[in-house]
Formats: sequence, structure tokens, C-alpha cells
Amino acid sequence: MRKSTQLMTAILAGAALALAGCADGGSQTAAPLDLAKAPEYSGTLSILTKFGGDPLEPYFEDLAAGYKKLHPDVSFELIQETDQSIKDKTKTLTASQALPDIYFTWAGNWANNFIDGGLAADLTPAIAPGTEWGNNFGESALKAFEKDGKYFAVPLYNNGKFMGYNQRIFKELGLTPPTTFEELMSSCSVLKAAGYEPIAFGNKDGWPALHYLQQLFAYEVPAQVLEADFNPGTAKLEDAGYLKAMKQFTALVNACTGSGKDSNGVLYTTAQQALAQGKAGMYYQEILEFDTTSSDKSPLRKDGLGIFKLPAASDAKGDTKAIEGSPEGYIINAKSRNAALAADFMKFATSTLNAAKLSAPPYGQPSAVKGAVSEQNSTSPVIEGINQVNEASNAIIWLDSVTVPEVADAWLAGGEALIAGTQSPEQVLASVRSASSAAR
Amino acid sequence: MTISNTARRPAVPHSVPKSAGRPAQEPTKKASSRRWRNLVWVLPAASLLCIFAYLPLMQNLGFSMLKWDIYSGRQTFVGADNYIKMFNDPIFWRSLLNNTLYAGISIVFQVFGALILAAMVEGLRSERWRGILRAIYFVPSAISLTVAGLLFYFIYEPRMGILNAALEFVGLGNITQAWLGQENTAIFGIVAMSQWQGFGYCTLLFAVALQRIPSELYEAASIDGVGPFRRFFSISLPLVREMSSLMMIVTVSGAFQVFNEVMVMTTGGPNNSSQVLGTWLYRSGFVRNDFGYAAAIATAVFIITLVLAVLQLRLSKHRRVQW
Repeated sequence: MRKSTQLMTAILAGAALALAGCADGGSQTAAPLDLAKAPEYSGTLSILTKFGGDPLEPYFEDLAAGYKKLHPDVSFELIQETDQSIKDKTKTLTASQALPDIYFTWAGNWANNFIDGGLAADLTPAIAPGTEWGNNFGESALKAFEKDGKYFAVPLYNNGKFMGYNQRIFKELGLTPPTTFEELMSSCSVLKAAGYEPIAFGNKDGWPALHYLQQLFAYEVPAQVLEADFNPGTAKLEDAGYLKAMKQFTALVNACTGSGKDSNGVLYTTAQQALAQGKAGMYYQEILEFDTTSSDKSPLRKDGLGIFKLPAASDAKGDTKAIEGSPEGYIINAKSRNAALAADFMKFATSTLNAAKLSAPPYGQPSAVKGAVSEQNSTSPVIEGINQVNEASNAIIWLDSVTVPEVADAWLAGGEALIAGTQSPEQVLASVRSASSAAR
Repeated sequence: MTISNTARRPAVPHSVPKSAGRPAQEPTKKASSRRWRNLVWVLPAASLLCIFAYLPLMQNLGFSMLKWDIYSGRQTFVGADNYIKMFNDPIFWRSLLNNTLYAGISIVFQVFGALILAAMVEGLRSERWRGILRAIYFVPSAISLTVAGLLFYFIYEPRMGILNAALEFVGLGNITQAWLGQENTAIFGIVAMSQWQGFGYCTLLFAVALQRIPSELYEAASIDGVGPFRRFFSISLPLVREMSSLMMIVTVSGAFQVFNEVMVMTTGGPNNSSQVLGTWLYRSGFVRNDFGYAAAIATAVFIITLVLAVLQLRLSKHRRVQW
């Protein structure tokens, strides 16, 4: 290489690095939020919600309007995203250091990234169990956002994953909710013979398969092993339970779903509709979906939506009482100038009245506030789901948010490959192990 | 009229002899000052280009040498690590292969296919029908890629889509499948949609190029008893080669920047089988939080498209048509 070319390359590389910046932003958790300081009821509160689209969108709009009535000098900037789009939106805002005052979070690795990055206000003095505000929430809901004894998010609602079924169809065919995985497979045969799609399933987005896998892993892999395997630093991913769970999943896809190997081409909403329209006997769904699936206009409302926990195999070696699901909450930006006002707004959002409203149709999001879900305001599947979540031995966080993104992505690709039949469980586990060791 | 294989050289003004001696100092000073004054007019556009095109490019190059934690803001210099990772990443190579496949198929359909179609349309005697057909072929190009992607997602849907229903109807039920849900068909499903969407635009551009060819050439050929195929290969094809070159550049560059249709139809799945460089870049950054690696992929995309564009531009210089 000529000297001038070398010099030019060096100058270009130097300039590029200088332009990109190369700085240590620090990664300590934020200092505790000073909630003793009274909020100034003026200015604009920006909020990033996961309530975009029908029927959830009006909830935060109404909350903002209600708060504005109390404090007319406060205005709101609502950024409402959907379950799919909020992931990208949050990361774009994070990278551009433009996170709003209040923003949505899942529990697990997702929330920990913000906590470790110093972007989540330490709410311990205000919301820890035993405090006035904290006493309004179930302790398990608060603990979902706890790290090193500190609390970093306001849990808004609880969630869990259940198999929803059409009560009329089950009754007609003499079926009862299965209690073991083997019984579930038998129910599929009966439903199929009667001309129904046993389990509606759509995996176009990849994550529906992860939900099945995570619940089955909880049943088949001992809890401590599973916990260690979520963290690339301690992961071994060698337990035979993984292979067994993946084999169960593949068997379920092939024998119970109408789409089988084609499921990667089907939207999860299409599957949801199949249950709502009475074409399918079952559909694996979150509590948050119950009121949407059995909305007033759907035939399922008339037929009746029943739920049961995805049953474990009779010889399962893991925690068969665990339920997949975790609360979802809102973080107050540690760098927000309106942190005290933001905390005050979240207190308003989790007041008894607003919590009850959130738990009722059309929203059907079971509030994390104690006593908010009741027969007066919530549908029976939501109440039953929440009761089961509260009684569960352990709440297993979603596979795509409990572990680091590289590993979650490897599981996602693996789930798709299992459905299409292009990889064996052994191959999938090997690729996840490789992603986990690369992420160490 | 001449059909030249080389670009016409600019005429040398008679007033300035090539080998004239050193001109007087005064006119040189004036000319130099005029040149600088003229540059002032170029400055706004050049500044905007620098700020919005070249500066981000340089920044991206810098990012590609960093490990960037977007949460803490910590940026660590890792040198060529991201590039080494890229060369060892099978999904990167899969994506590159898909982009190449995309480019190859697009050249066949959107350049050669569109040219043949344009020649057929322009060969029609009825001006009315020519207009109607041009409009019909152009309509898909007026639809946004996102909308077209969604539309085709539902066409390909394994259980409710009309493609499988049509195949069942004509007795080909044995080949029905989840076109976007299978690893071996997903990328082809997307490419097919893209051809449908881009075909009409290319046809229209070729139609314009064909209209510029003097009709005397075709008339003379007809008098000499030349048939339609020979007319196409001996008159139409050589005389639209400038447009063909341009379409090749646009199509190939477009193929390496494809993003929307893949995101809408498969998001790169199943099992990363339909990833292209654009979606893998996006996934690396926004899903896997590896923004440094995403920047390295972006640099690779830039280099690939730059090299292809330079090569094609050099090639097209020798394909200029003049008459």
C-alpha cells in the first residue's frame, strides 16, 4: 500500500471513530428517586405505552384526561405502541437518549438492561413492600422488577399463559380439561375426529412457539438448572429435559394443530380468530387476550371460554406447578426532569378506581393492584387465570425476555425450525448452546 | 446517424489550442477567481450532502469498530472484531446469498422480462391498447411495498390464501404449502412479490426508450423482409442498451437494499431462511442489541453497492447510444 493511501486510511479511520464517539457512559444503577419532594404540577409528561391499537388505546388517553382534570397545567405526550412495535421503538429511543419520562417494560433481562444502564429510577423508598404505595400491590408483582433488593418499576398488570378452550365443543364431545400432556394429546384426536381444529396455532412472529417451549421447559427441566441456563455466564444447557420438552412441542404441533408444519406461515391473530369463531377447540393464550378472544361479537362468548394450564407430562421432572407469565410494568426514567410528577401519575394510574377499570372489559388487563380483579368488573376466565397465577409455585418469565437477546433469538429460530421439521431438538439445543457461549 | 460504442468526446473549443503556450497572467487570475466564485453556488448542495450523506457514512464506519451498549451508553473500541464476526456468521452469508438471488432474479424479470414485454406492448398497432396495457402493468408499482407485502402475505397464507385455493382448484393440491412458512420457499415468495411490484415500472421505462427509436429503422427493416424477432434483437435491443444498463444499476442496487417486503412478509424467518442484509442488520441492532455489528453489516452493504454501481457505471460508459 502506498504511503499516501495508508495515511488517508488512518485519517479516515480516526475521523470515523472521532465522529462516532468512544465514551464510557457508566453503568451504575440510578440513585433513589426523591419522592419526598412534592411534584410540580406543570409541564409535559411523556409516556411510552404498550397499549397501541384497539381495544387498549383509550385507556391511557382516559388516564391522561383524568389526571389533567385534577392538574390542568400538566399536559401529556403519549406514544402508544403495540406488543410487536414497542421493542424497536424502545430501543430506538434508548439509543438516541430520548426515552420518555415513563416507559413500558417486561420483567427479566429486558428490565435489567434499563436498570444496569442507569435508566430506571430507583423507586424503593416509594414502592417497596411495606411502603404505603407498595402495600397496594401483590409482593410477587413487585418482586418481578426487583434487583439487588431495589425496586425499579410499577407493575401495572399481571399476566399468565393458559390454554383457552371452547366449553360448548368440549361438552358436546364429552371432553374435560386435560390434566396431563398425554390427556391433551388424546383430546386432540377426539376434536380432530369431530372435524374441529384441535389447537389453533400461528407462529408467523416466532414468539408463540417460545411460549409453548418455555412452559414445557419449566415442567421438564429442574427449576435451578433452568434459572442458571438463562444466564450465559452460568448456562450449560445440557439437561435432557430440554430435548424432551422440544419433542413434546413437535408432537403437539404435528398432532394437535390444524396448520402443523405450515404454522410458521400463520398469524397468531388468525389462530386467535379460529377459537373465537368456534372453528378450533383450543388456543394457547395470555390472560390479556381473554376478553379480546371472547368479545361480545364472537361466537365464543356464547359458547363459553374455559381455561386450563398447559398440562405437564405425567413423568415431568421439573416444576409442574409453575406458570409461564409475569407482570408487565412501567419504569420512570431516571434521567427525567419530571420524575416526581411521573411517580405521582403512576400512583394515579394504580389507584383502586383506575386499576378496576383496567381489569374490566374491554381492556381485560388484570391489574397488579390487590383486589382490583373482582367478579364485579372482570370476566370469569380473567379471575380464574389470575387466581391460578397467584397460586402458582413459580412464575416463569417469557423466554424472549428472560434471557439475553442473542440466546432468545436462537431459541426463536430453533422453534421455527422444529415446526418446519428442518432441525432436530438436538440441533436446536446445540445452536442455542453456541449462541449462549458466544454471549458470555 | 451513427450507433457508436464509445462515448462522444467533448469537442475542444477552437479558441483554446491544446498546445497553446502559457497564457497571460492576468486572464489566469480572472479565470481562477471566477472558478472560486462559481464554487460558492455549489457549496449549499455540497454541504447538505456532506451533513446528511457522508458524515453519517463516516459515523457508521466508526460505530462498526465499537461495541456499543445502548443502555449505559458505553462504547468500547473493538477494532475489526465486528468484521471478523461478520465473516464467521453463517446468517450474514445466507443473507448475502439471498440478496444475490434477489438481484439475479430481478435482472431476469425486471430488466430482460420487462424489455420483452415493453417491446410487445409497443409493437401493438392500436395506440389505445398500448396506453391501456402500459397503465395496467404500471398499477402494481403505484402500490407501496408495505401494502403489497401485506397483500401477498394473505395471498400466500396457507389456509385462507388464494394461491393455495387456486392450486387446489386446478388439481395441484399436492404442491400447496405455507409458501412463507417453509425455509425453502419463503425467500422465493418474497422475490416473486417484488417482481410483480417492480415489473410494470421497468416496462414503462423501456417503453419510453423504445419510443425514442426512430421508426424509419423498423420500416427499413420491414422493407428488407426482417421478421419481428430479428427486429427486436438487431434494432430494439442494441438501441435501448443505455436504458438496460441504467435498469441493471437500479435493480441490482435495489436488490441489495431490500428491507420492507421481507420485514412485512417474514421478518427474515423461518429460521432466518429469508434474511437479507437489510433485515439482518436491523435484527442485529434492534433485536440483539449489537449495534456495532449492525454498523459493520451496514458498511458491507455500502461497499457491495458502491462496487457494483462503479462497475456498472464504467460498463455503461461504453454502451452509450447516439444517433
